[in-house]
Amino acid sequence: MFTNTLFLLSALVTLGGAVAVVYSQNLMHACIYLLASLFGVAGLYACIGADFLAATQLVVYAGGVVILMLFAIMLTGGTGNNINRYGLEKVAAMGNKKTYFFAGITAVIFSLVILKILANVLKAQPASVLAANEPTVERLGTILATDHILAFEISSILLLGALIGAAVISRPRKERHD
Amino acid sequence: MNSTVVTYLSQSNEFSAVVKWLTTHLGFDATSLVTFVIFAVASLIVVGALATIGGLGTYAERKISADLQMRQGPNRVGPYGILQFLADGVKMILKEDIIPANADKFTFILAPFLCMVGVFATLAVVPFSSGFMLADLNVGIFYLVGMASLVGVGVFLGGYASNSKWSMLGGMRGASQIISYEIPGTITIVSIVLLAGGLSLKTLISGQGGLPQEWYLFHNPFAFIGFFVYFISALAETNRAPFDLPEAESELVSGYHTEYSGMRFGLFALAEYIEVFVVCGVAVALFLGGYKVPFDLGTGQILVDKLGMDGMIAKNIGQVLELGSFFTKTFALYYVVIWVRWTLPRLRVDQLMTLCWKYLTPIALFNLLGCAVWMYAFDGKSIYSIIFNSAAAVAGNH
Repeated sequence: MFTNTLFLLSALVTLGGAVAVVYSQNLMHACIYLLASLFGVAGLYACIGADFLAATQLVVYAGGVVILMLFAIMLTGGTGNNINRYGLEKVAAMGNKKTYFFAGITAVIFSLVILKILANVLKAQPASVLAANEPTVERLGTILATDHILAFEISSILLLGALIGAAVISRPRKERHD
Repeated sequence: MNSTVVTYLSQSNEFSAVVKWLTTHLGFDATSLVTFVIFAVASLIVVGALATIGGLGTYAERKISADLQMRQGPNRVGPYGILQFLADGVKMILKEDIIPANADKFTFILAPFLCMVGVFATLAVVPFSSGFMLADLNVGIFYLVGMASLVGVGVFLGGYASNSKWSMLGGMRGASQIISYEIPGTITIVSIVLLAGGLSLKTLISGQGGLPQEWYLFHNPFAFIGFFVYFISALAETNRAPFDLPEAESELVSGYHTEYSGMRFGLFALAEYIEVFVVCGVAVALFLGGYKVPFDLGTGQILVDKLGMDGMIAKNIGQVLELGSFFTKTFALYYVVIWVRWTLPRLRVDQLMTLCWKYLTPIALFNLLGCAVWMYAFDGKSIYSIIFNSAAAVAGNH
């Protein structure tokens, strides 16, 4: 009962936020709706007992990514007018016949592919009962430090590269005096 | 559902009596209903109490600053002016609510609530005592860090939506400061997590004892340095002086909440004061032994053994002692926060970033490494027990 309520609420927030992101005219508002959607996803993780993943979702997306997106939008002037100097809209209209047509075809193809992949899984295993809220932190830590150590290290090198790159780009350029 | 206020109360006879009575009269198993009611009441108590603490925080701030500057401070409303915060609250509510004409209305209205939600959501895992915490999540401290970062979004959006230069600069400073100082703070938390071996606040506290030498603060030299790193980061994350650049009065009028008036401004202020309490509480839980009382008085076992008291009453007395222990330490830190604010001058922006990235972050990383090496080398023993045990061995083996 409680889990169902939580699931319905999270799913509603996720989908509602996603739809609002697409339909919002203002980029800043879209970013806030995205925050709501990401919160919904955290709720979905919490529903299936992945507590660590839910908390990570909050820390990474709510704390970091959304603020960075807000910064980026603000610094690039995302809320300015969309009309260029010839009086034409710079941003292409999302909903005309062509886009709906191709989006529909793409959606159908993708859903068929995903169904094809999932079919084996669904057939092989009958709906399994979820384990009752086991702590996942310890197992995740163990797996990360043993089986998936390579992926873990590679991702840290990627982040280090990004960090150094950002430092290099933002460093004030020295003027040559010779 | 482990070790929350509900599980604590469900040990008592009255709980089962009430459940039994309701079950016979309502015709269904009333356990979950009673659980829900207890949980709702406890949440209301926590939110109400913390809102009062936030309000009294403004009073404490003014009274302590007055004391430090040899003034009187508020002294008209109530005895010693203690009801000043209620008068301020009434004033805030009755003030006209102004939204600037060119403000981004949706964001403008949302921003204070984001701050409030971020702070109040962290209250769910604050460990007031071993029996009185709303939820003991397995990822407690991680959840707390994640939720607290919502405040940054609120501050930034508040600054953006006001459509004013002061607010904009304040909001940008606030957001960049909060995400920068999250890094040394979180790394320090991780080093304590390493010592305790768990993310839940209960695990973090149960590794410590009531006496100072059993705290993680004096566990090893790295944790000792870590406490100060965490405390400085907490000051910066809550936008307190000397890191109150987002609301620097002398340059930015009032920073990100310049354009806010009435209760919307009140929400920002309240969120800030409650957040200070929460980060002080976390510092107490991580480093200063949390709610632990010396000599295991918190469990009440000693009262049962020596005085022959009823088990539940002894436990309740223990809980009250634990609450006292937690609040005493937290308020002591709260006093230090206010004391620092009225003593130190404000930093410049570049000094702020230098302090974070060139000093605190490397120190925090070094501490993390040091704690790991300490755990490996000394098998997780504290410096006190190592010295004490070796001294006892030397003294005893003659």
